[in-house]
Amino acid sequence: MSVPLARRQLLFRRGRSLAGVAGIAAALLLVLALNAIFAGINDRLTAYIDRSGADVIVAQRGVDTMHMTQSALPEQAAAAIASLPGVADAKPILYVPAMIEGGDERGIAYLIGDDSGGAPLPIASGRRPRAGEIVLERTLAERLAAGTGSSVRAFGQDFRVSGEVDGLASILNSVAFVRRQDLARLLGSVGVVSYIFVRAQPEIGAGELAARIEASIPGVTASTRAAFASSERRVVGDMTTDIVRAMILVGFVIGVAVAGLVAYSVTLSQIRDYAVLRALDLRVRSALALAVAQVGATVAAGFLLALALVWLLAGLLPRLTPTIVLAIRAADVALALVVAGAVALAAAAFPVVRVARVDPASVFRR
Amino acid sequence: MESTLVRIRDLAKAFGEGETRVEAVRGLDLELERGEIVLVMGPSGSGKTTFLSMLGGLLRVSAGEIWIDGTDIAALGERELPPFRVRTFGFIFQDFNLVAALSARENVEVALNIAGERGRPARERARSLLESMGLAGRLGFPVEKLSGGEKQRVAIARAIANRPVLILADEPTASLDSHHGAETMRLLRELAKEEGATVVIVSHDERLREVADRVLWLEDGRFKTLQALVRDPVCGMLIDPAEAPASIEQDGAQLYFCSRGCRDEFLAP
Repeated sequence: MSVPLARRQLLFRRGRSLAGVAGIAAALLLVLALNAIFAGINDRLTAYIDRSGADVIVAQRGVDTMHMTQSALPEQAAAAIASLPGVADAKPILYVPAMIEGGDERGIAYLIGDDSGGAPLPIASGRRPRAGEIVLERTLAERLAAGTGSSVRAFGQDFRVSGEVDGLASILNSVAFVRRQDLARLLGSVGVVSYIFVRAQPEIGAGELAARIEASIPGVTASTRAAFASSERRVVGDMTTDIVRAMILVGFVIGVAVAGLVAYSVTLSQIRDYAVLRALDLRVRSALALAVAQVGATVAAGFLLALALVWLLAGLLPRLTPTIVLAIRAADVALALVVAGAVALAAAAFPVVRVARVDPASVFRR
Repeated sequence: MESTLVRIRDLAKAFGEGETRVEAVRGLDLELERGEIVLVMGPSGSGKTTFLSMLGGLLRVSAGEIWIDGTDIAALGERELPPFRVRTFGFIFQDFNLVAALSARENVEVALNIAGERGRPARERARSLLESMGLAGRLGFPVEKLSGGEKQRVAIARAIANRPVLILADEPTASLDSHHGAETMRLLRELAKEEGATVVIVSHDERLREVADRVLWLEDGRFKTLQALVRDPVCGMLIDPAEAPASIEQDGAQLYFCSRGCRDEFLAP
C-alpha cells in the first residue's frame, strides 16, 4: 500500500478543504433547490386536478384547461355522460376564479361549486360545506385569518368557513369549495356547469372512455386527467415557469462556474507539491489521478452536503412560505448526479491541464 | 566498474530566440568520479541551476552530451528519462521541498512508492534511513513541526532512499544556521563515502568547500577555473594549495597545511 497522498492533502488543510466542499455544496444546492422548487410549483399547479379522483375531465368543446379559462356545459350533460357504458360516476362542478375577502386581507382562489364539497379530497379540519358555507385551502385561511366558524366574502356574498383542505395552494392561486347551487345562484348560471369529472369503470381505460364521451356527447372535449393536467401546466408554464427555467439555467451556469473555480484554486494551491512530486518522478498520469481524486472527493462531499441541505430546506421552506414547496424526486436527484459529474469534469479540466504542464525543474526556482 | 560516473561534453543551453536568445550554459566539459563531492560555485545568474537541472535530466540540453553510468541522458526519450532519473538521481533542495501534508516518514516513503517500492519494505526503508539520521523520534511528525536541520535531514533521506548514484544538491545549507549547515555537510560527506554516491552541490556557501573534493567556478555559463582542494594532514581541513599558508615536500610529494601551527605539529617528533 502506498502513502495515501490525496487523502493526506485533503485532510492537511482542513479549513481550505472544507471551504472547497462548502463552495461546491452551495453551487449544487442552488441547482438542486431551484429544480425542487420548480417541481414543487408544477405539482401544486395541478394539485386539485391530480387529486380530484376524475379519470376523464369533460369541458366545453376546445377547452382542456382551467387556468384563465371559461367552460360552460348544460347540466343535463352530466346525466347523459353518466348513462354511457364504462362510466362509474359523472360529477358536474362549477368553477370561477374569485377574490376571497376576509377582514382586511384577500386572496385569489379557484372557487369550485361542488355538491360533494371537494370530495374525494380529504378535509384537513372541520367538515365539508353545506349551503352558505365554504371550505378554504389552509394557506388561504391563514392569510385571511379565517378559522372554522368565521366568515369570508366572495362576489359580495358572506360564507361561513366550515373547514379547511390542505396542499392545494400554489404560488399563483389557492382553492375554495362551496355548494354548487350557492355558486350557481351567485353567478346567475343555474342549469349550467363548467366541467364534469368522470370516473371510469375498472374495465375501461381513461383514453378510451374520453374518446367514447366525445363521440357520444356533442359539443364537448373530453381529456384524460393526465392530458388535462399537462395542458394546465403548459398554459401556466407559458406565462410563468419560463422565468423559473431561466433561473435554473442561470443557477446551473453559476454552480458549475463556482465549483470549477473552487476545484481549480484548491489544486493551484498545491502546485508546488505537484512540482516536487514530479521532480521525484511521479508520472503525469499519476499526478493527474491525484488531482482528479481530490477534485472528485471534494465534489462528492459537496454533492452529499447539498443533498442534505436541500432536504432540510424542503422541510423548512413550506413552514415559512406555505405556497412554495420543494418536490425532491428521484429523477431530480439523478439529474443532480449528472450535474455533479459535469461539475467534476469541468472542475477537473483546468487543474488537470495545469498539473500536466508542471515543470519538475521549477522546484529549483525560488 | 568504471571509476568515472559522469562525462559531460560540450554542454550548452540557450533560452529564447533571435535577439532575446540567452546562452545560460556553453561549452561545458566535466568528468565526475564515483564517490566524489563536487561543489559548483559562481555568481547569481551564472548558470549553476541550469547546469544542475540538465545534469538531473529535468531540463533538456540545447547541445552536447551528458553520459551517466554509460547512458547519454541528453539522448533519452521522454518515456525513458523518468525511470532512469528515478533510479539514478537524488535531489536535495534549498527549501527542502518536503510535502507539507505528509509526515517525515511518509515524505521518504513516497519517493520509494514513486520508484515502485511499496508497502512494508518501503515503510521499513524510510524508517531505517530516518533513524540512521537521528530522527527516530520524529518519524510521524508533520514536517512543518520539524526544525530546519531536521527538515534537511528528511530531504537527504528522501534523496538517498532509492540508492541513487548521483546526488544533486541545490544550495543545501542556505536555509540553515551554522550548526545545522555543518551537520548537513557532515551527512553529505558520509553519504558520498559510505554509499559510494557522487554528490554535486550548487551553492554560494563557502563553508561547503570543507566537504568538497573539488570546487568548480561557473561564470557566464562556463567553468572559469578548476581548483583541486587538498586536505591538511593534521586537522583534515580542505584548503586551496595556491593559498595555503604553509607547505612541505616529503618523499617526493607536496603537503599543504591550513596554518603554520598544523605544519609545525606535523613536523614535531
